[in-house]
Amino acid sequence: MSDAMTKTDKPILETRSLGKRFSIGTRFSAEGRRTVHAVDNVSLTVRRGETLGLVGESGCGKSTLARCLVRLYDVSDGQLLFDGEDITARSLASLRPLRRRFQMVFQDPSASLNPRRRAGDLVAEPLRIHTNLSAAEINRRVAELFEIVGLLPDHVGRYPHEFSGGQRQRVGIARAIALNPDLVVLDEPVSALDVSVQAQIVNLLADLQEKLNLTYIFIAHDLSVVRQVSTRIAVMYLGSVVEEGPAEEVFSAPAHPYSQALISAVPVVETTPGGGRKRILLAGDVPSPLNPPSGCRFHPRCPIAKDRCRTERPEARPFGAGRKVACHFPSGFDGDVAQRP
Amino acid sequence: MMLSVRDLRVSFRTEDGLVQAIDGVSFDLAEGEILGVVGESGSGKTVSLLAVMGLITDPNAVIEGSIRYKGRELVGLPARELRRLRGNEIAMIFQDPMTALTPVYTIGWQIAEQIRAHHRISKAKALARVEELLAEVNFPNPREAMSRYPHQLSGGMRQRAVIAMALSCNPALLVADEPTTALDVTVQAGILDLVRKLRATHNSAVVFITHDMGVVSELADRVMVMYAGRVVERGSRSELFSDPRHPYTRALLDSIPPLTGDKPSRLSSIPGSPPSLLRLPQGCAFGPRCPVRYEPCATERPALGTGVHAAACLREVEA
Repeated sequence: MSDAMTKTDKPILETRSLGKRFSIGTRFSAEGRRTVHAVDNVSLTVRRGETLGLVGESGCGKSTLARCLVRLYDVSDGQLLFDGEDITARSLASLRPLRRRFQMVFQDPSASLNPRRRAGDLVAEPLRIHTNLSAAEINRRVAELFEIVGLLPDHVGRYPHEFSGGQRQRVGIARAIALNPDLVVLDEPVSALDVSVQAQIVNLLADLQEKLNLTYIFIAHDLSVVRQVSTRIAVMYLGSVVEEGPAEEVFSAPAHPYSQALISAVPVVETTPGGGRKRILLAGDVPSPLNPPSGCRFHPRCPIAKDRCRTERPEARPFGAGRKVACHFPSGFDGDVAQRP
Repeated sequence: MMLSVRDLRVSFRTEDGLVQAIDGVSFDLAEGEILGVVGESGSGKTVSLLAVMGLITDPNAVIEGSIRYKGRELVGLPARELRRLRGNEIAMIFQDPMTALTPVYTIGWQIAEQIRAHHRISKAKALARVEELLAEVNFPNPREAMSRYPHQLSGGMRQRAVIAMALSCNPALLVADEPTTALDVTVQAGILDLVRKLRATHNSAVVFITHDMGVVSELADRVMVMYAGRVVERGSRSELFSDPRHPYTRALLDSIPPLTGDKPSRLSSIPGSPPSLLRLPQGCAFGPRCPVRYEPCATERPALGTGVHAAACLREVEA
């Protein structure tokens, strides 16, 4: 663990212009074969020990990106580097030894846990596949994992349906950390849970991160949860990252008009009626990724769109320290568009 | 009072015994008022509103108590009579718009059918009304949307279509069950605006069920917090959020991570999980998870006081 601490700045995961395309339809369908760019030109760097929060509306490609990052999907374009090694095109067999170092926790534990197997068995499976531990050693490790995630020893014999939602997610987490991974990709890990239980799991994840020196990629649509857990944030819109930077800065002063609208739309508990927050209402719906708008993909809904946005696609450019924004007119950058409409 | 619910009890006979899903819920709702009902899954918020709508058809359900709508008792009302009210004077919006719409008819057809079920007007007139309604719920191109099937619309548009259907007969009472839970925050913001607009233009009373404290604080005039089939706290929005009295309400508010300001190093969470309705604790249902419980909580079930702002907590009575 100690040598991992010294490498804090070395990226554990890096994507270079990563893209994922899906073909839909057949040549016999009305529109013929078409291609959806579900993830388009995403360049991200995740450093050891940090938590990168991925936010965006449904359909923005955050889950597709997550699956690409752990090679559950094959990458179509660009490069994917894990701990400095290019794993973009590695065969599944040669990827296997690396797999134990990056794991995933899914949104719905009742769907990702086999209902016909006992919890202890589910947590033991990765150990059986990836290690040479004896049966007794595996049992010991499973018991240890159950304790780490806050489950009782006699829970090993239970089936997934005998657990509450929060407990089931604990089983999913135990399974993900069984092999002492470096990186855990969490795809909406608390979205299916009740508010009171959600906080328990968020705390558990924070404890595990500290104890096991884990790096997280945390996907959620609940922005306040993402803010709580993340050191950095990437905001996605229609397959691309529109803004990326330290969580605190992005939340307190979002620079991309889409991030501004997204953050302003979150309902918060306010004791004074009406509150002081201005809400930016976006016109229209998210366009289909099959037929994305020209220029900046956000321009049809953007309150500050100008002619240039309709024709020229903005690239992600540095915006202050450690921040990148893909917008021609990021607020704070250009005086006359800084104020909100 | 437009709606007055007294001591509502709903129980279900199951193989494992009688499940008391709703245990003595009472509330009032005035015209043009928005009541927020908050609680976790299994707290009984949906079941109590389904009872109000007369939509619990399970033969194993036992409904007791009184539900008065404009002075008329709804419990025990013949199905025919209920059907005349439902969809006409009392409308409901469900959580998942995809299951609330039939996939095989167009949006326009479905909303027109609803209007014609309650009013004797021509098809052409009904369709004209549908176009008006879709415009009212901010469809950019209502005429075109009418000929669309549900699967051709986005989630937000589908929910707006369901809302248009609910509004088609100018309901005096609108019951919305987690209408924005499946939607993105940007879409949710638009739907909340719509609900506020309806209240302003139609003076409808709204019961809004949600688990999101933020949504309640932005929308509701009064709030009711439910836990394990009972109301544990009720009060006006400002009272409830500035001075939460029930430990459960307080814990729920504390467990929400803040969106601005200082980040707590740990979230305060509620230990354990909501109790099974089959095995409710003897005393206060929240007792086993409560940070301020004391001996009497294990045996005595606290009653909700009679005040405008009241909490069902023994500590509250003592104070």
